[in-house]
Amino acid sequence: MPGRLSRRAVAEYVATSLVEGKSKKLLFQQLAAYLINTQRTKELELIVRDIEFSLAEKGVIQASIVSAFDLTAETKKALEAFVKTQTKATQVSLSNMVDPSVLGGVKITVPGRELDQTVAHQLTVLKTRFKKA
Amino acid sequence: MQNVTQVAASQGNIFASLGIDWKALILQIIAFLLLVFVLGKWVYPWLMKSVDERQAGIEAAAKATAEAQKSAEANKEAVAQLLAQARKEANEIIGTAKLESAEMVSTSEKKAQKIAERIAKDAHEQLDKDVVNARKVLYNDTLELVGLATEKIIAQKLDKKTDGELIDAVVKAAK
Repeated sequence: MPGRLSRRAVAEYVATSLVEGKSKKLLFQQLAAYLINTQRTKELELIVRDIEFSLAEKGVIQASIVSAFDLTAETKKALEAFVKTQTKATQVSLSNMVDPSVLGGVKITVPGRELDQTVAHQLTVLKTRFKKA
Repeated sequence: MQNVTQVAASQGNIFASLGIDWKALILQIIAFLLLVFVLGKWVYPWLMKSVDERQAGIEAAAKATAEAQKSAEANKEAVAQLLAQARKEANEIIGTAKLESAEMVSTSEKKAQKIAERIAKDAHEQLDKDVVNARKVLYNDTLELVGLATEKIIAQKLDKKTDGELIDAVVKAAK
């Protein structure tokens, strides 16, 4: 990689390389080395977010799922299909995180969008809606 | 004595027999008349004038005394009138003051009553507000408790299978 690049350029490079099927391990090693070399490790989270956006633009979606229980394969498939339909993505990969505090339901987060249909969120909405100021 | 009489008789003069020297008598008469004249001309008028002046002074003093007495009487009456007038004015002032004080008391009572009414009204309004606020707080607390209870119940009742069905329903509804 050349000297100092913009965050967007770095993200674009990594996203393009991932779509082209280059080795993830090698790419991430390069990215880590570059960030350490240019003393930009603090920007890691932002760069990851930019990479997700770049991938989304290329039809590759990284969806984050939060649920109260482990999801079954069927549910995961259904969610994947749902995300594909909603984002028009060609490729969707899900990362599932279990959080019992959401009580039930599911929260789907994709770059730039979020669908919170957890029971905890519904209850919060209800409480907020009916609460008197 | 007999000798003298005898001498005078011998001289043929009665004055002499009486022992009177008629020359000396005439001189004494003249001197007396001169004295009378002098006294009448210069001494008596001066004395009379002095006496008249003194009398006039005494009369003037008496007159002044009478006038002073009269004036004192008149002053006494004036003082009495002034005192009467002062008493009358004092009574009027006291009467006016009583009326004014009564009015002031009445005004103060009305003012105090208005203030008391306003305070009572404010207190009622504040009480109403407090009740409304308390109800609101109670409502919100109840809502919070209901939410917490619902969370507990759902946490107990919701299992993996039900959650899967719920997620399917959510996905279908979102489509």
